[in-house]
Amino acid sequence: MDSVVEDNQLGMMKYGIGQPVTRSEDPKLLRGEGNYTDDVNLDGQAYGVMVRSPYAHGTLNGIDTAEASTAPGVIAILTGADLDAAGLGTMKCGLPLKGRDGSPINYVPRPALATDKVRYVGDPVAIVIAETATQARDAAELVELDIDPLPAVTDARAAAEAGAPQLYDSVSGNTAIDFQYGDTAKVDTAFKEASHQTRLNIRNNRIVVSAMEPRSAVGSFDAASEGYTLNVGCQGVFGMMNTLAKQVFNIEPEKMHVVTGNVGGSFGMKAGAYPEYICVLHAAKVLGRPVKWTDDRSGSFLSDCHGRDHDMTAELALDADGKFTALRITGYGNVGAFLTAVSPMMPTMNTLKNANSVYRLPLIEVASKAVFTNTTPVTAYRGAGRPEANYYMERLIETAAREMGIDAIELRRRNQILPSEIPYAAANGMNYDSGDFPTIMQKAVEASDWDGFAARKAESEKRGKLRGRGVGCYLEVTAPVQEEMGGIRFEENGDVTIITGTLDYGQGHWTPFAQVLHQKLGVPFERIRLIQGDSAELIAGGGTGGSKSIMASGAAILEASDIVIDKGKKIAAHVFETAVEDIVFEGGAFQVAGTDRTVTVTELAEQLRGGLDLPEDLPRDLSVKHIFDAAPSAFPNGCHVCELEVDPDTGVVEIDRYNMVNDFGTVVNPLLVEGQAHGGIVQGLGQALMENAVYDSEGQLQTGSYMDYAVPRASDVPSFTFATHAVPATTNPLGAKGCGEAGCAGSLPSIMNALVDALAPLGVKHIDMPATPEKVWAAIQSAKAA
Amino acid sequence: MAKMHITTTINGEPTEFLCEPYETMLDVLRDNLGMTGSKEGCGSGDCGACSVTLDDRLVCSCLMLAAEAEGHEIRTIEGMSEGEALHPLQQKFLETAALQCGICTPGVLVAADALLKKNPNPSETEVRYWLAGNLCRCTGYDKIVRAVLETAADLRGAAE
Ligand code: FES
Ligand code: FES
Repeated sequence: MDSVVEDNQLGMMKYGIGQPVTRSEDPKLLRGEGNYTDDVNLDGQAYGVMVRSPYAHGTLNGIDTAEASTAPGVIAILTGADLDAAGLGTMKCGLPLKGRDGSPINYVPRPALATDKVRYVGDPVAIVIAETATQARDAAELVELDIDPLPAVTDARAAAEAGAPQLYDSVSGNTAIDFQYGDTAKVDTAFKEASHQTRLNIRNNRIVVSAMEPRSAVGSFDAASEGYTLNVGCQGVFGMMNTLAKQVFNIEPEKMHVVTGNVGGSFGMKAGAYPEYICVLHAAKVLGRPVKWTDDRSGSFLSDCHGRDHDMTAELALDADGKFTALRITGYGNVGAFLTAVSPMMPTMNTLKNANSVYRLPLIEVASKAVFTNTTPVTAYRGAGRPEANYYMERLIETAAREMGIDAIELRRRNQILPSEIPYAAANGMNYDSGDFPTIMQKAVEASDWDGFAARKAESEKRGKLRGRGVGCYLEVTAPVQEEMGGIRFEENGDVTIITGTLDYGQGHWTPFAQVLHQKLGVPFERIRLIQGDSAELIAGGGTGGSKSIMASGAAILEASDIVIDKGKKIAAHVFETAVEDIVFEGGAFQVAGTDRTVTVTELAEQLRGGLDLPEDLPRDLSVKHIFDAAPSAFPNGCHVCELEVDPDTGVVEIDRYNMVNDFGTVVNPLLVEGQAHGGIVQGLGQALMENAVYDSEGQLQTGSYMDYAVPRASDVPSFTFATHAVPATTNPLGAKGCGEAGCAGSLPSIMNALVDALAPLGVKHIDMPATPEKVWAAIQSAKAA
Repeated sequence: MAKMHITTTINGEPTEFLCEPYETMLDVLRDNLGMTGSKEGCGSGDCGACSVTLDDRLVCSCLMLAAEAEGHEIRTIEGMSEGEALHPLQQKFLETAALQCGICTPGVLVAADALLKKNPNPSETEVRYWLAGNLCRCTGYDKIVRAVLETAADLRGAAE
């Protein structure tokens, strides 16, 4: 394994791995000079506005565009028939996931514009293109849709029942996949033989992702080269290029140029292709001019994929000592009206992978259905099954502890996998390579002033408040890394450009990637650039998602650097007129071993640019285009402790203190990693206490604006105490574990466990998310009445 | 309908523009004047991404008609730093990484600046409530609030 982490030479310390280096993109962003998609304007562009279904379910008999076509400024109106006539394909989910009987997912294709049926409120049916956005908006209102409404179903459990409205003729029971893992008979036996069983019906509420930048896209087409260009915010341009080129436009990927500038948040939501992107690209070709589309917020609420929405029963079997003997999770995941590239994973495989968490668990069963409903499609949202599964497990443990009269920390201790047991082969098929779970929990408990709680609780009581505290241990299985580009280009002006196919939407990849390169090759930090959002520059790219970017691009940069060093050694040997074997690379310089003759990477690159007289068989430059093959999942883990107060008169919950200790393995830039934890925690806090997407019985979204849907504001949240306890991963060259989703995984259980702890003296055993004041107040009232 | 001719001051510069009567200040800034630092996160006054000041009063430019700028003074994110030197708030946000995707940041900075002009010594609660009009989905607010408090302390220190 590479020794890059220990190799932190003094001279490079300031920008090396582990340093809190400020972000290279920030001076621009702070001045308002960021380049987000809606800031892109192309010469001659027209504006598109989508016409969307106002019904959740219905037969689409016709679209009357006559009046709209003659409205001022209208250039064209395209419908699904136009896209079909042009031979465009559909978006598909190609996950290799298998159902319990070995059958594949019911891959229903998604056309960009509906032609026969509409399946959710917001389902796009046409795009109106006009000279200005206002004209397009006005004309869109004149498009008349002839739709015969059909009964709608919005709840996954209800949709899977016999007699429910069916979304697709080809899919029986609205079931995209009926997933099962584990030995049912053995798990049954374990439950029968258990001295204690804990069971919770537990909702994982639907989330409106609400990236603060609405989605936007600009499509253009060059007739001479027959090439499309799409400016769009996404999580990886290489994947976006391939999806659009191969699935929809049936062209060579090189003809689909995808360009991404700054992205104003995504959290999984902007990862996939959307109908609007296909529409602006096709319209640009038809009209011979660029077409821009930017959603308004009302549109975002309907058309951006939602997150979460599972309805599970979670059960834990324990022996007399409180040792876990089996875990079973059964239920439903709502995938909405269409599948995204990843959506069947969350209630199934990702729940399975992550529910095991930090505990010794002999048996596990997950049996769940991913179900179509007449709602906005659901996709990965910060954690994508990881926070959900950890939440189920931690709520079970806390509930079991209370039922059995065992201290909840003690119960965790009895079941936590010890460092001496690692590597640990978990019952769900995961192999944990590293971690020190008991120490992390102990540190988090100490950081929270555990022993001072009783006094604080008494003090709260004096003020008429209920105080509770809760622990959330978590372990996440990050997405495995596959084929990531590590490009290093030595530019004419002396800059060194990293080219890689992960793509940040706020994480700030430029700086940590540059730190890795700087430390490895010694090139000046301030000369390092990053290209991540230009598909024409990439030969591979897995995109960002599943907390894997630093493992993917970090490793790719390290391996590419090794190739730079190999090339450099050959050239340096020639320059120094010695054998390659005599050249060593140390501290950013090639050196003739045992002499003071050295040349740095930067100097050598400069000499090459100046024109070195080199023999035929030597490389002409140091630049490298490399593909890092693969790295397995890593297992970031940690423990959060939340302490909160409930006002029993109003049901308002206020978080008083929040501590966490995390193991993210090697941390390249602690300044940024702490921010990732904060952001994740508050997204979790929103889900736990405030956020809920609600549909009425006809499938209308009741929470379609910020007035109805509560995203946490600065006044709703506390500040946090952050610490790390690193046990580097052994499975990737950096030793990194990923940190992007961990905040959510710790905050859902710690907040909800704390809330139930506060209400437990009244007899409350469980409360579902979001624990809004209304719900908390009602729980208190009914507990009192009981 | 004829366009309206508006004479105003933006970031200290006398500015004239033509606009439709229904156009918002945000539309005109972004589309007519090429000042894309102000962002549209909602268009309904809920997110603060479009924050500007109108005669030193913090307003949502998405809720303000461009015509209302006539004879008044607008300040936007583009007017915050002086040349190369960042404003102390911007500098503190940089040092503490108090931004992630950055889309909310111009609005947050404009709002925070307006707060510190009104109240140079805000409590944490005051900062949190003042910035409650600015939605941020990325940062969890902790670093933003801390950066504003630290900047306020620095500025008070410098003034002493
Ligand atoms: S865009 Fe003005 S408040 Fe959101
Ligand atoms: S930094 Fe992304 S919304 Fe605030």
